[in-house]
Amino acid sequence: MKTVRVWFKKVGSARYISHLDLNRCMSRAIHKAKIPLWYTQGFNPHAFITFALPLSLGISGERESMDIKLDNDTITRDELIEGLNSALPDDIPIFDVTEPVMKPGQIAYASFVISLNTEEADAEQIAAKIKDLFCCEEIIVPKHTKNGWIDLNIKPHLDQVEVTAKNAGVKINAILPAGSTMNVNPVLLNEAIKKYLKLDLYADIQRTNIYDANFKIFE
Amino acid sequence: MINQKIEKLLANVQKPGRYVGGELNCVMKRTDEVDVRFAFCFPDIYEVGMSHLGMKILYSQLNTMPYVWCERVFAPWVDMEEQMRKNEVPLYALESGDSIAEFDIIGFTLQYELSYTNILNMLDLAGIPLKSCDRHSLSQLVVAGGPCACNSEPLADFIDLFFIGEGEEVDCEVVDLYREFKKKNGSKEDFLIAAAQIQGVYVPSLYEVTYHEDGTVSAITPKCGAPETVKKRIMMDIDHSYFPDKFVVPYIEIVHDRTVAEVLRGCIRGCRFCQAGFLYRPFREKSVDVIDKQCHDLCANTGYDEISLSSLSTSDHSKINELLDQLLTWTEGENTGISLPSLRVDGFSTEMMSKIKSVRRSGLTFAPEAGTQRLRDVINKNVTEEELLTTVNKAFSGGWTTIKLYFMIGLPTETLEDIEGIANLGQMVVDAYYDNPNKPKGKTVKVTLSASSFVPKPFTPFQWEPQDTIEMLHQKQRHLIASVKTRKIEPSWHDANTTFLEGVFARGDRRLCSVLLEAQKNGCKMDGWQDFFSLPKWLQMFEKCGVDPAFYANRKRSFDEVLPWDHIDYGVKKSFLIEECKKAYSNSATPNCREQCSSCGAACFKGGICCENR
Repeated sequence: MKTVRVWFKKVGSARYISHLDLNRCMSRAIHKAKIPLWYTQGFNPHAFITFALPLSLGISGERESMDIKLDNDTITRDELIEGLNSALPDDIPIFDVTEPVMKPGQIAYASFVISLNTEEADAEQIAAKIKDLFCCEEIIVPKHTKNGWIDLNIKPHLDQVEVTAKNAGVKINAILPAGSTMNVNPVLLNEAIKKYLKLDLYADIQRTNIYDANFKIFE
Repeated sequence: MINQKIEKLLANVQKPGRYVGGELNCVMKRTDEVDVRFAFCFPDIYEVGMSHLGMKILYSQLNTMPYVWCERVFAPWVDMEEQMRKNEVPLYALESGDSIAEFDIIGFTLQYELSYTNILNMLDLAGIPLKSCDRHSLSQLVVAGGPCACNSEPLADFIDLFFIGEGEEVDCEVVDLYREFKKKNGSKEDFLIAAAQIQGVYVPSLYEVTYHEDGTVSAITPKCGAPETVKKRIMMDIDHSYFPDKFVVPYIEIVHDRTVAEVLRGCIRGCRFCQAGFLYRPFREKSVDVIDKQCHDLCANTGYDEISLSSLSTSDHSKINELLDQLLTWTEGENTGISLPSLRVDGFSTEMMSKIKSVRRSGLTFAPEAGTQRLRDVINKNVTEEELLTTVNKAFSGGWTTIKLYFMIGLPTETLEDIEGIANLGQMVVDAYYDNPNKPKGKTVKVTLSASSFVPKPFTPFQWEPQDTIEMLHQKQRHLIASVKTRKIEPSWHDANTTFLEGVFARGDRRLCSVLLEAQKNGCKMDGWQDFFSLPKWLQMFEKCGVDPAFYANRKRSFDEVLPWDHIDYGVKKSFLIEECKKAYSNSATPNCREQCSSCGAACFKGGICCENR
């Protein structure tokens, strides 16, 4: 028995599938690729598949990972990559398989690229407005939690945010709290723009990487 | 490959995975490398349409033709439709993201009468003129096939061409002909006249329908050389007929999320209410080796860990045990389960059940269809009370405690006594549980009695029967509830209002086209979904168009009346159906095709069970 960390991207059409659907999709791919998975030995055997940090619907992921338990060591890294890629849709490519270094529980931050489509409007001007907004003392947005809607001040979490005008749009690079203790969904930044600047912009959001509490890249 | 215009809508809808394509095994081609673009439309949402086996077969087969690109289209759910209309995004195909208005052929599958408004709504959402006479070019040809095409008259104004029978061959022949006409810049009219010469093609505009003063059909007259009767197409050698080795595997969970293998076509039973039992005659089996290979290929190419052995009555396959044994030689090692969707009361054996994994999860379902032996004889459901009790006892001994029984109410000759019979049968099953010494310890039994309402359908012996009115159905439903004496039995029933509308369209004629058009204009859609169906609204439409729905649903028709579908030929003779109808009234059963041939007429196809030694 051996645990491996499978690295993949979730892009294009795959952005629109939920975590539960991704889970099913991966199980099917593992079954199809005949990966020798370790199953629980109980009455109703099932496999162990754990995702490090589930992604919100609509956001693409450049460096996603899942941990699987293999039954034996006979399958090589390349065989795993090749087998899974032939069993997965094009928009979920596997690019690496490694031995897990950190535990998923150590994840504390994630970096995002938010591309806002400003269409005909002046991107420079909008970028400036957004910069000003993010300098306010307090930015309150509604956040949906287990206990219903709450008002969240996202300002304390915006110290690693960079706003630039680029290619007829606005690009926001942000490192936000992510993980089991504190989580700020990048969609909330666009919500703030909608609420305070009265701008309804289409946002293409990418999660580019994940980090631990010391901003060390998750491995 | 959806564009950003579509992506923008997805943030505001439920389950965006329905609208993005890109699934494993979906077929991508280049538009400049194909001659014919075919939009295969399913008039319901993604999860329903993607579960449909016929669509999987024809999608794959059309895409084996190098010059054809067949793409999938589903009806968007109301939230997405609202977004699309608001942002002027036309209905698009999932593979390319292109509007279906750009396609050569737009094909619909007709599975259910209550999806007709969705067809019109989908055309409307694509900006395509609804009526055939308003579409002048050869492209945007609207075609349809499937079981409801057997009486397609209510759609005659909208659809250019119908496929009658099984589509594997005739679809390709029509696409070939289309390509020829497109290359030589032929007109739509000339194309339709030429296509009508292909067996299994029905072009409604080439038939003129006249009516008597009492509203019944007086004659259906072909023109431009179209045949007097259109005979269905059928695949006689199903071992060698096309079957895909891969399916598109959806990202999101669909209704039937598993590998589906087809084990046989047709049915030997001849239940008199069952349209499929007559439309798909004769009974044809696939051989064990072929099914085994198809299951294996499909599992290998999709990654599914469950196989459903699909057909009208899988336990009627003459080698079902042999098939299960052969499948088990590899499925067990691959952690793959096998399920049977349809079980007959008399086809249940513990041996078979032990080979099947998934039934244990959900409980067992059987369909006695009627509550008394007399009524079961009327409908030719040749299942006895003893057989049912033997079967449930086997199930109880095997550890099952949940049994679901399907019935129909509103059957011809039915009385309130027959309704009480349904409750009595449920009670007998409950009693059998407590009398069974091998029942599971410490558990209680649950029997669900599910009563749907009978709809007389074309090409069945009951095609002349009046359907019970909504009031009668309600009375019978109430009587069923009152007849149930224990909480171990849970009765459930279907909405009688939708049954009524289904009955109207099932046996309707061309005068219903105007009602459909009016209904679509007034926002009727998703009628198969309880949250959207509104009978008062529909009644308004009928009134506005001066059409009496009861004329189609609740009127007793005489044997010599010209039926709106008399020019369509499914091989089963009308004289046989009349004979069967008369036998129903004398409570007499007809043996199944395996026991004895009843000369229904399907032997004209020269194959299947009609040519087997009995």
